[in-house]
Amino acid sequence: MYEAITETYVPLISVFEGLVADGIDFRMTMTLSPTLISMLSDPLLQERYLRHINKLVELSQKEMERTKWQESFRRLAEMYFNKFSHARDMFQRYACNLVGAFKKFQDLGKLEIITCGATHGFFPLMDVCRDSVRAQVRVAADHYESVFGRRPRGIWLPECGFYPGHDEILRESQIKFFFTDSHGLLHGTPRPKYGVFAPVYCKGTGVAAFGRDLESSKQVWSSIEGYPGDYNYREFYRDIGFDLEFDYIKPYIHPDGVRINTGMKYYRITGTGNHKEPYVPEWARDKAAEHAGNFMFNRQKQAGYLNELMDKAPIIVSPYDAELFGHWWYEGPMWLDFLFRKVACDQDELRMITPSEYLLENPRNQVITPSLSSWGYKGYSEMWLQGSNDWIYRHLHAASDRMSELARAFPDAQGLLRRALNQALRELLLAQSSDWAFILGTGTHTSYAVRRTKDHLLRFNRIYDEVKSSSINESWLSDIEYKDNLFPNINYQAHR
Amino acid sequence: MRVLKKVKEKLKKIIPSRLTSLRSLKSRKKKAPVKKTRRAVAHKEIPSFQETIAVNTKFSHPETARSWNAMPQDLPSCYDQDKIVLQVRDPRWLHTYWEIRNNTLEELKGRLGEEFYRAKKILRVYDVTNIIFNGSNANSFFDIQYNDFATSWYIDTAGPGRSWCVDLGLMLTDGRFITILRSNVVQTPLDCPSWITDEEWMIPDDIFARLYGMGFGLGRSSPVGGAWQERVKQGLFSSGISSSPVKKEAKPRSFWLKVDCELIVYGATEPDAKVTVQGQPVNLRPDGTFTLRYYLPDSRQVIPVRAVSGDKIEERVITPIVTRETR
Repeated sequence: MYEAITETYVPLISVFEGLVADGIDFRMTMTLSPTLISMLSDPLLQERYLRHINKLVELSQKEMERTKWQESFRRLAEMYFNKFSHARDMFQRYACNLVGAFKKFQDLGKLEIITCGATHGFFPLMDVCRDSVRAQVRVAADHYESVFGRRPRGIWLPECGFYPGHDEILRESQIKFFFTDSHGLLHGTPRPKYGVFAPVYCKGTGVAAFGRDLESSKQVWSSIEGYPGDYNYREFYRDIGFDLEFDYIKPYIHPDGVRINTGMKYYRITGTGNHKEPYVPEWARDKAAEHAGNFMFNRQKQAGYLNELMDKAPIIVSPYDAELFGHWWYEGPMWLDFLFRKVACDQDELRMITPSEYLLENPRNQVITPSLSSWGYKGYSEMWLQGSNDWIYRHLHAASDRMSELARAFPDAQGLLRRALNQALRELLLAQSSDWAFILGTGTHTSYAVRRTKDHLLRFNRIYDEVKSSSINESWLSDIEYKDNLFPNINYQAHR
Repeated sequence: MRVLKKVKEKLKKIIPSRLTSLRSLKSRKKKAPVKKTRRAVAHKEIPSFQETIAVNTKFSHPETARSWNAMPQDLPSCYDQDKIVLQVRDPRWLHTYWEIRNNTLEELKGRLGEEFYRAKKILRVYDVTNIIFNGSNANSFFDIQYNDFATSWYIDTAGPGRSWCVDLGLMLTDGRFITILRSNVVQTPLDCPSWITDEEWMIPDDIFARLYGMGFGLGRSSPVGGAWQERVKQGLFSSGISSSPVKKEAKPRSFWLKVDCELIVYGATEPDAKVTVQGQPVNLRPDGTFTLRYYLPDSRQVIPVRAVSGDKIEERVITPIVTRETR
């Protein structure tokens, strides 16, 4: 989380600030998940982040001293010193809550912030308990509204996981659009006339679905041909947290002495071998500009070609993980900055647009039923449904059924009972996070994922039993309300 | 976050050995022979179906049955319900899990007597595409015999874009099938573009083929149908948490050694003195000591350390000269 703030969110906000200051018009659509918003708004986390960034500033100062006989490194230490100081300043400038910064750019009409599932549950594997899908959407949309002062217009379905029919649940929460991976649209029924290059409306609900364009994705994502692999860019896997002498680096790594990333990395990718040369910021910057130009050029060609085939304005949807920019791909925010500027100033074939704007300008779209799909491994549910994690679903589904049962049995609970029911929904949502199944699927840190799944389900089950037997233990309830304190204003009636 | 990581690390250290022993136990348990039978209602057979089952069962998920029994003992092992749930994994595979109340089984035993023990445990998979299923009007069905320990199963339908329903039941020795549980109905997604086109939005096939290939980022002439397979082959999926777009170089598994040098320059003087090292002022600790640490490249470093007394009357200079030479 701290890394994401320093390496991704702060740099992105810097880019937005610079564009606005220079009068450059731009558009970006960004998901801020309810859990991310909650973390960014949490005073305890904010305080800890300040402590964390202060230590990084200190480390970078030490590094400037340590590397003084080695100019190519010293200037990088200074680059990090500036970066960390800047992050600290900005963090404080936004009163330690970066959500406010994003809101500012949304209110300026540059950024469209969309929501996600409340706890990132993987919807296709919740389909047998649609009340749970509904709760994931409702809790998220209500949370969004409490933060941004209006309903979310769009949603990023967790892992891009769409199951036909869930559009109805989105519609209930006044969500107007979502995204699918390419095959979600391309394998929809009937055949989508324009492929992924125009949105469709879901049959029966009119919720719009935008399909991901893989050509533009691949240019950035692909580990083989993608931009981030350029030899001039910064090497992610050479962090001083791992490279430097233990006693020296110890105060800045894990308290137990486990080496971790500090964010200070001195090398460029250099080549395919293990030998790495020092990073040269100027070269990387030139590359980022070149790659932004290349990306734009390819989109121009793509759009020109699409214009010949289509009788309406094609849209190219290029979604990426936010953490790609800055965290994985250090030069990513800079690349975005160049791209925004070039698109605004250097050409007039392309225009940046948000999904809402596109739908306003192009209200007539084809009606189809998009296909079950996700952007996970192999494109469907396998990542979250395999031998190592399939055992969780009988428990999750049983808990979902029980939650629905409780929500129907107590339409208007008050007092302690209400607290218990609200906490039951919190525990259920937390258990549903697709991260647990994902970790179990990858096979590393699995015991942690097992623990989390079990903890939340066991807490849920205990609340269920206590509610059913009218014997709610208040002190225990208070304790888990304190431990699992996400969504303070949750309403258990969202689950029905 | 920190705390989580700490917990993770700790757990990692404790668990592995226990896990492995559990796993070996489980896999032993699972080795019950699996036989599959099928009967087609109509002649809508899927080519080479039996081979697919046999092959895929071997490869797909050898641990399927183990997981449930072996998982965290403190979650309930059942929820006192008669229930079978069907989920879609991908265009071809379904997953099902079930639970049967003991009472339900006892009743059956009472009703069937000895027959109960002779009966085969069967999952009957119905193709219910485009019909309202009433138990006897399926387009076709096939049977899977499951073993005693299983409470879940992966089913290879080999049928994208079709609707499915599963009965869990008993096949009596006289061939009668008794349904114990019936699942929900699910639909597998298509793995190619739909053949249904919408009159109002029709588009010539050749143009769609080009848009289709482009959608997968595969250029402009990919034939319909091939593009998806191509994409699966290329693995063009991004799933946030796991995969980095930044290539991690595979470390060669050869022996290796890394050596580097740093130089620590340290000293002490009166706490109120002013100290410079190579001309740069240095902060003293309250007791007058100081420590500096430098990366030492191959070079000769002359490091004059100069201290001036608080009253600026006295001065001392000591100059270490250090040469690093790496061979």
